[in-house]
Amino acid sequence: MTRVHMTGGRALLPVALHQDARNIAPWVGLISVLSASSILGYRLVFTDPAEAAALGRTVAANPALALIFGPARDLMTAEGFNTWRAGMLGAFFAGLMAILIVVRNSRADEDSGQAELLASSVMSRPTRLGVAVAMAVIAATLLGLLSWVLTMIFGGDPTDTLFLSMTFAASALMFAGLSAVTAQIGSDARSASTLAIGILGSLFVLRGYIDAVEGPEWATWVTPFGWLEHVAPATENNPWPLLLALTTFLALMAYAFWLQARRDFGQGLIAPKRGPARGGWESTLPGLVTRLNAGSLITWLLAFVVLGFVFGFVATAVGEVLQANPAMAQALAGGTVTEADLTAQFLSTVLSLAGIIAAISGVQVAMRIYAEERNDRVDPLLAGSVTRRAYFSANTVLALAGSALALLIAGSVIATLASDQAGLGWGQVFGQAAATIPATWVLVALALAAIGARPEVRLIGWLGLVASFALTILGPLFRIWDWILGISPFWHVPNVTAAAPDWSGMAWLTLALAVLTVIGFVGFRRRDIV
Amino acid sequence: MSGHEDVIRVDGLVKSYGAFLALNGVDLQVTRGEVHAFLGPNGAGKSTTIRVLLGLLRADAGEVSLLGGDPWRDVEALHQRLAYVPGDVSLWPGLTGGQAIDLLGRLRGGLDEQRRARLVERFELDPTKRGRQYSKGNKQKVAIVAALASDVELLLLDEPTSGLDPLMEAVFQEEILYEKSRGRSVLLSSHILSEAEALADRVSIIRDGKVVETGTLQQLRANARSTILATLADPPTDVATWSFAHDARLEGSTFTASVEDRDLNETLAALSAHGITALTVNPPSLEDLFLRHYDVDADKPGSPT
Repeated sequence: MTRVHMTGGRALLPVALHQDARNIAPWVGLISVLSASSILGYRLVFTDPAEAAALGRTVAANPALALIFGPARDLMTAEGFNTWRAGMLGAFFAGLMAILIVVRNSRADEDSGQAELLASSVMSRPTRLGVAVAMAVIAATLLGLLSWVLTMIFGGDPTDTLFLSMTFAASALMFAGLSAVTAQIGSDARSASTLAIGILGSLFVLRGYIDAVEGPEWATWVTPFGWLEHVAPATENNPWPLLLALTTFLALMAYAFWLQARRDFGQGLIAPKRGPARGGWESTLPGLVTRLNAGSLITWLLAFVVLGFVFGFVATAVGEVLQANPAMAQALAGGTVTEADLTAQFLSTVLSLAGIIAAISGVQVAMRIYAEERNDRVDPLLAGSVTRRAYFSANTVLALAGSALALLIAGSVIATLASDQAGLGWGQVFGQAAATIPATWVLVALALAAIGARPEVRLIGWLGLVASFALTILGPLFRIWDWILGISPFWHVPNVTAAAPDWSGMAWLTLALAVLTVIGFVGFRRRDIV
Repeated sequence: MSGHEDVIRVDGLVKSYGAFLALNGVDLQVTRGEVHAFLGPNGAGKSTTIRVLLGLLRADAGEVSLLGGDPWRDVEALHQRLAYVPGDVSLWPGLTGGQAIDLLGRLRGGLDEQRRARLVERFELDPTKRGRQYSKGNKQKVAIVAALASDVELLLLDEPTSGLDPLMEAVFQEEILYEKSRGRSVLLSSHILSEAEALADRVSIIRDGKVVETGTLQQLRANARSTILATLADPPTDVATWSFAHDARLEGSTFTASVEDRDLNETLAALSAHGITALTVNPPSLEDLFLRHYDVDADKPGSPT
């Protein structure tokens, strides 16, 4: 390979880091807190080995948890618990962080024209990409260090924690490499990050499926997340898969620079085509809003077909998987639990999870309202005969309809595959998915309220998602009080498969939904357009 | 409708962003059927005023009336009667120029098909390119075509020609004069003086969030001074004492001074006593007016800008 020159990089890197520090810091901080908090939580809650053993049985009984968190190798120690709870999630978010850093600092600048100023100065062609990747490497290193130190402060074992923290950093490196490649392929920043995040999500789901159905040994080596699982912090502390991750990073980087040398500034490898000279359906307000969000919505709907299949297949395998676990097999044989119960429990967990993921698509639509404003594209619309209410309505309808449709798609696929297994009718499984919609909408409405009334605090929209995930999926394991669990809208979703479903939760959800939506509409009507 | 009705009437408009006072009591009147140039340096408050008129920003204080309505409250009804061209056009990256024109037209309540076709041709716009592929000037053309192709009473143009080449600038001026001949009113914010001089019936000059001068070009000129350049056969020695001529200077036989219109007679009489061999009198240009207003603080060192 020819040497890659980085003229100007030394001048650009500190400036770029300074600019982007505010965007990077929360990721590094939150992922480190994810690790440190599980050590702290474990020490507080599981003081008695019997309780830890009970946790082990709960986790083993619900393959949905293996799907999200990976296999639980050892829940009898705080470090083992941390590896299970924070390992795969941390690796996922570290990868996401790296993708956003690289795309934001290489491709997004090209679209906005900022990079042109830089490219015209004394700077060699690969410098900007090099600086973007260097920033991701720095973020990965900081993440590794902070997570290590912070977790040790809360009582984590130095060696075990070091290995865990290194898997975070390794994931960030691999996905930095991947996004450096997609940034050359996509025709703009949006398609570059969609492509990279799509691959990240697919690999994570594939890894989850393999773990949940306890696939063969070779299958665990198929995804980069599987490699990181083989590092097995706290149980094996095996460094060799980390080397594999590093090699992957270097290979992807070489490929990215090779591609970049063959690409025009501001263009991707996929050239944009000419379009129609006249407007059609997209030249109306609802059409425009749909069109602007079409790419990500279609991606989400397809993703939910795939998620539906993954969840559905795992549901059909719940019985088999549990039979393989001696303790669970005993419980099943003894008749204390039935396979149908466990499948139903699995379904309720994955439908809540699907509801939270579906809310992401709605929150994205809400965030787009503000992004369009920042890009000065809302002024000309509102200068036309469009009221603010009409503009906000079009976006609200799309955000709610898109997320509901996603849930229904996943629900119908899961119901088709798994309803017999759970001893439930197709309608009951599908109905449970439909009953989850209002909870999803509350999260979307939270983001809409923030964007409408106070876009400066729009981060609340994302925090709502994170909090719901933590409370709904993790909360019950920590046996947190109900009134705290009730902060998550998913706690109020009625169990429609029960003999006499309790619909009171639905009333609370509807009330929250109404209040948040009104705040959004009234706020958007009153505030200045940015 | 009377010919003297105001399409825009702004009295004492105040708007601040946090601690920053963007508009500090703006007064502005645009009469029906006129092209009104809104001039001022960068950051003087032109765009903020227009965005208040569009109901995008809420006024902190002052009276604002647009086409007889309240721009904050009567958004829908008013916007059917106006069209807007922003100074910095940002198009949707995935939509073609043609799609954007139709979108903006439909949101306003329809556009004139023949006029759309004619304008696309006159401005030599390729409507099949995507938003992200257009140059700055071409993005501007998309917004101009969308605005001019609609059948509205009032055009709000915020530095509409930034980025246009001289040929397109000429086309733009012709089209604005055509709009005016059809009885439309135009508020044209600009700092291209030749454009304002060619198009405007009246001019308002804004500076630091306040309108400092308003009137027809003639009225504005009446308050300004003409420049006189004369070559004299018998140069006088006492020009410094001529109170009617400002900045009077003599270099050899060449006399220069700036003179107010009412002092022209006296000046010429004084000069003719010294044997004029050549004489030029330049009426005040808009540029002089402009610079005079812009530079008010230039000789006050340390004053805030």
